[in-house]
Amino acid sequence: MRKALTISAIGHAVLILWGMIAFVVRPLEANTSESLPVDIISDSEFSQITAGVKTAKKAETPKPLVEKLGEQKPVEELTKIEKKPAIQTASAEPMPIPPEPKKPDPKPQQAKAEPEKKPEPEKKAEPEKVKPAEAKPAEAPPPDPIAEAMKKAEEQRKKDEQKRKAEEQKKKLEEQKRRAEEQKRKQEQQRNAFDPSKIAALLDKQSPRREAATGDTLNQTASLGLPTGRAATLTQSEIDALRAQIQACWNPPAGAVDARELIVRVRLQLRQDGSLQADPTLMNRGGHPAFQIAAEAAMRAIRRCQPYRLPIAKYDVWKDVEVTFDPRDMFRG
Amino acid sequence: MPEAAGVSADLSIFTLFWQAHWVVKLVMTGLLACSVWVWAIAIEKFLLLQRTRSAMNKFEQAFWSGQSLEELYRSLASRPNHSMAALFVAAMREWKRSFEGSSRSFAGLQMRIEKVMDVTIAREVERLERRLLVLATVGSASPFVGLFGTVWGIMNSFQSIAASKNTSLAVVAPGIAEALFATAIGLVAAIPATIFYNKFSSEVNKQASRLEGFADEFSAILSRQIDERA
Repeated sequence: MRKALTISAIGHAVLILWGMIAFVVRPLEANTSESLPVDIISDSEFSQITAGVKTAKKAETPKPLVEKLGEQKPVEELTKIEKKPAIQTASAEPMPIPPEPKKPDPKPQQAKAEPEKKPEPEKKAEPEKVKPAEAKPAEAPPPDPIAEAMKKAEEQRKKDEQKRKAEEQKKKLEEQKRRAEEQKRKQEQQRNAFDPSKIAALLDKQSPRREAATGDTLNQTASLGLPTGRAATLTQSEIDALRAQIQACWNPPAGAVDARELIVRVRLQLRQDGSLQADPTLMNRGGHPAFQIAAEAAMRAIRRCQPYRLPIAKYDVWKDVEVTFDPRDMFRG
Repeated sequence: MPEAAGVSADLSIFTLFWQAHWVVKLVMTGLLACSVWVWAIAIEKFLLLQRTRSAMNKFEQAFWSGQSLEELYRSLASRPNHSMAALFVAAMREWKRSFEGSSRSFAGLQMRIEKVMDVTIAREVERLERRLLVLATVGSASPFVGLFGTVWGIMNSFQSIAASKNTSLAVVAPGIAEALFATAIGLVAAIPATIFYNKFSSEVNKQASRLEGFADEFSAILSRQIDERA
């Protein structure tokens, strides 16, 4: 027995020692995933989203991106512009050229400046001369040559400066030209490089150009919102308004077992005065025994509540809409 | 000590043990002792059963070889014997005593021999079975003991967590790991104990039935002899 006990004890000791060495705890390497900022917004808040960029800062008073005054147009994906810089510069390419005819411009300006500035000191000098002449007629002539010299020096300096400026301008223009050429060349290189994904862009010369977002006031910086957002300001959207009006007349099928089966989608075509243009059409079918009843209830609600009072200015938005009648959460646009 | 193995050495086996509550420590040491004892018993039983089996084989070979029983008895009686040999020696001694004494008493000889053999079988089986119950006990009880240590440790660590008012995983984890260590030791002790118990108890049963079979055969032989001489 003693022998067995010793063997067992030794075995355990060895096992524990091995465990001490082998069981080194390695910390789990958790991959820190990028955190996503999540805002919880309600349905109506979502419908009131302003046009903008998803990544923009949240402004106190959100303004839609507007680059041109005029009729409102929804902003397209703003990020798209950055993706196609080449074509944008292509349309902008003529822009640097107009300065070229201006090139002689600085010189005439300089020339103009010279005659302008020449008489000026004289004019200035005259009243100066007159005043001291009254007080000290004798002393008046001596400062004259010095003043003249100083004026001349000043003029010379001005001229030099102007010349320098002109030269600088010229240089700038040249640089601009060079840059434009470089861009052109790059563009051409890009164009030459075969990229199958850009074939569509090459075929449709018009598509890469982005239409300027128009609105009431100019605003160059996009505010927080969605590219497809339509609300200019935070007002209840047209769909919300329509929804609220239909809901008033709707008797949802109460007590149905499978409410999920009773979702009814109806398409409405409205006239400008808010009345139905045609009978509402049912967009889905359901196998539920109560589905027909639910569909009828929805149709009834739509017919009963017309005409709908909706902003005529946004007729495009609510001219042809699909409304979902969901008994679970009453309604969804 | 492997504690010097950096930050993570915080949770090495030794520190796990050392930081535990004293009740948990007690449970752990007890379970470790149980494990040592279980393995000692297992080793001992393994050797004993092997030895017994080979001795039985050897004796049976000698017994059925046609050698005279007197001679076999003489060669075996001088040294201590186990199992089948002991059974044979005990029966032969009783036989001899009945014959070599002045008064020949055949009347109850058969019964006496059977009694003697029964006693010997019982003694031998007891010898084979000794400490097997420990294995059974450890096998069934040590998981519970380990669980007790774990429950106690978790209870304790939850109290500490409540006191520190911090629920981050880094605070909770070491206490729980420490507590679970007790269950681990309990299972480490219990699993081999259960396996060994099952194996050895079936082995002991086999050997006991073999002894009984031999006893029956031998008593039949002796009974024939008694009838012939009477």
